[in-house]
Amino acid sequence: MSLSPQGTAASADPLTAVIEVEDLVVRYGTATAVDQVSITVGAGEAVALVGPNGAGKSSLVDAVMGLLRPAAGSVRLHGRAALVPEGRQMFPDLDVEDNLRLGAWPLRSRGAAARDTSRVYEVLPDLAYIRRRKAGALSGGQQQMVAFGRALMADPDVLVVDELSLGLAPLITAALAEHLRELNTSRGLAVLLIEQNARLALDLCTRGYVLESGRIRTEGPSAQLADSAEVAAAYLGGAAEPSGAPDTEGDGE
Amino acid sequence: MNHPVREGEMKQVTLRPATATTPAPGPGLAARLRRPRVLAVLVVSVVALLLPQLLAGSDVAVYVTLLLSAIVVTGLSMLMGYAGQVSLGHAAFYLIGAYTAALSATHDIPTWLGLAAAPLTAAVIAALIGIPLLKLRGHQLAFATLAMQLILLNIVGQNEWAGGDIGLQGVPRLTVAGYEFASTSSYAYLALGALALVVLVARNVIASRPGRGLRALATSEVAAESAGVPVVAYKLAVFSLSAGFAGLAGGIYAFYTGYVAPGSFPVLLSFEFVVMAVIGGLGTIWGALVGAAAITLLLQQLNELGTAEGMPGYAPAVMSYAVYGVLLILVVLYLPRGLVPSAQGWWERRRAAKDGGGG
Amino acid sequence: MSDFLQYLISGLAVGCGFALLGSGLVTIHRVTRVVNFAQGMFAVVAGLTAGSLLSAGLPHGVAEVAAVLVAGATGLLVGIVAIGRRGTGPQSALIVTLGIGFLAYAGEILIWGEDPHSFAGLGGAVEIGGAHLQKQYFLVIGAAALGFTALGLFFTRSYLGKALGACASNPYAARAVGIDVTRMGLVAFTLGGMLGGVAGVLVTPLQSVSYHSDVLLITNGFAAAILGGLVRLGPALVGGLALGVAESMVAGYYEASYQSVVALALMLAVMVWRARRHTALYEEAT
Repeated sequence: MSLSPQGTAASADPLTAVIEVEDLVVRYGTATAVDQVSITVGAGEAVALVGPNGAGKSSLVDAVMGLLRPAAGSVRLHGRAALVPEGRQMFPDLDVEDNLRLGAWPLRSRGAAARDTSRVYEVLPDLAYIRRRKAGALSGGQQQMVAFGRALMADPDVLVVDELSLGLAPLITAALAEHLRELNTSRGLAVLLIEQNARLALDLCTRGYVLESGRIRTEGPSAQLADSAEVAAAYLGGAAEPSGAPDTEGDGE
Repeated sequence: MNHPVREGEMKQVTLRPATATTPAPGPGLAARLRRPRVLAVLVVSVVALLLPQLLAGSDVAVYVTLLLSAIVVTGLSMLMGYAGQVSLGHAAFYLIGAYTAALSATHDIPTWLGLAAAPLTAAVIAALIGIPLLKLRGHQLAFATLAMQLILLNIVGQNEWAGGDIGLQGVPRLTVAGYEFASTSSYAYLALGALALVVLVARNVIASRPGRGLRALATSEVAAESAGVPVVAYKLAVFSLSAGFAGLAGGIYAFYTGYVAPGSFPVLLSFEFVVMAVIGGLGTIWGALVGAAAITLLLQQLNELGTAEGMPGYAPAVMSYAVYGVLLILVVLYLPRGLVPSAQGWWERRRAAKDGGGG
Repeated sequence: MSDFLQYLISGLAVGCGFALLGSGLVTIHRVTRVVNFAQGMFAVVAGLTAGSLLSAGLPHGVAEVAAVLVAGATGLLVGIVAIGRRGTGPQSALIVTLGIGFLAYAGEILIWGEDPHSFAGLGGAVEIGGAHLQKQYFLVIGAAALGFTALGLFFTRSYLGKALGACASNPYAARAVGIDVTRMGLVAFTLGGMLGGVAGVLVTPLQSVSYHSDVLLITNGFAAAILGGLVRLGPALVGGLALGVAESMVAGYYEASYQSVVALALMLAVMVWRARRHTALYEEAT
């Protein structure tokens, strides 16, 4: 099944893995959304999880984040995972500053220092200018950036990003993708990127999984996946194009 | 006898679409499926008819109370289970029926006419107040119906024509075609007849096409509406019908006790009806009957226990409230469908397991 | 004129009680979507507890605070039963809180009996503009104002308060950032219990309470809360005060026995009026 059965240098070593998902099964009533899926994300690694709508991506995310109870299998986190949820999920009546501060909720035992938002403004300086604006009144791109900042507030070891590009204009997506790459490469933050836009995800990440109907269909290094005729036909919309600015199916903000 | 059997079939169609859509292999199997249900109806009917003769005097009075509650709860259970509406003020319609009967009887109107007017008045008033009230949903409707009852209690308690807080005394006995209902057991039979009527009406409504529309309504009003179910009209109809049932019970109550007063229809009575409906199982006739019977009998036992020698004066109240509370909480949390549907489900699973093991 | 002032002040005092009860309902409903039918019970428990503690010799202040804490603990218990079990929907939880109300009746009768109780509040009266006004009225109004200010600061300034608001506005996002929404629901229930308790200890000296006072208390509290759609505190405050004053005016100028009818009719009118503006879709979506 796998394009590279032995894995590659980028493949995660269990000793340094931050996310280990083994034989995960998620069911809603009698419907099985995720069927015996195993994935790993190594420390500092950027991993893409691509697949069409309804493949079970979001169920997998919710299980990884502990937001739903799996029917079988296990999820092990070594370190802290923070979620950039699908649809950005702002606290609309709170301002940006308060949205960010709530991201530090898991660290509340560390006291007020953990709620210091300045470190987020360093990484995402655009947020500093809108820190007093209500999150509900922001544009989609700004909200996505707040969602990133909020996740960073939890001081995570791995960032789980559920649908980076959904509903955003291509230019905005590209800018956010650049931020994500920066966080991954220069700060060593591991990333699990769940995307419908396979080209964008494989461009950003070194390794990827293709999820279809709740099962892992193929996995391997991004380059191989992107070149694979099978994947190209199924998810990249025909013949592979040179990777450039990612296109999105969203209609902007 | 042919007619009720067909009714039974129709009910199965509405309640268990899965079994209904599989074509029956032959009449033999269909008959076997039906038999326990028909048998149960027969046994219950015979026992119900014999009870007034078998029971001691004071127990017949409890029996009448049980039957009257069952009439109200059958309607309430339909309202809550089929139309998805919570009424915390159903005793108001019981009150309206009782006062209609009592007022007409004390104004020299033939008593049988008063009894007939009781459910009609309750139904008409429900239809009128239902027009604005049924725009509300969920907890809002619950509070609105509760408020309506509190207002009604207040009005009745304040007005001379209704006898104020003392109420109306000296309601004559019911006389129909020269026969005077005098004994407690005659009222038991009257209530039994009324309950049979109410159950038949409810069954027909449930099995009818509108009934299936109502079923959809309880799950999602929006979905029902988009499927072309005239939601507003159906809700109003069920609300009015269930109020009519309560009014009928109230009418019988007035002739049976001979007096009506606001104190006989407290808000707690409305809550009791809800407890009975929820515990028995919403949206099922059997559930309503079982719920009313279980709670009435339990209460009776507690009352005997509470008034026994050596018990403090507050014992009956404390015990009945505690039991209401505990039962309601346990049933809602652990048997959310109610006793009867849960028992049915258990029985069917058991039988399915047996069949699976055998074949 | 002096009559008017009299009715106004006493109405405001009683209205503060309604407003506090209503804000308790709002606090719980915002976070958990549950309409807590046992809200009036918190006031009854606190009022009766304060009375008992005072007659046991505890000084004023201590007894009332203790009673409010008891009400808060009761709120926590109600919350555990109502939302502690996974998968209990708001509609079921309403029925559960109705059941808890019954249980509370049993407990209250066991401890305090069936008769209404009261206790002496702040004694004495003042003359203002010819009106004879009990000092307790002003104590109630002052304490309620303090309570509301504290509540407002809690929700807008404190981290926990903001987290509670976050659970209310976007439960999924709250879970996504690691907030335990069920636990926050219990916090809301505790807070709601304390708010009901404050209402109870303040109002009991004005009008005696017994176990079945809860029905009128909850209906009035609900009437106040529904003005803000059960999610906003400001309108609940305004609604409670308006309700108290309206009832007081009706009782004073017209007929005391009709005061609750006016309040209830007002509540019905507000609900029906609000319902006209919302479609079924909206209700099911929220």
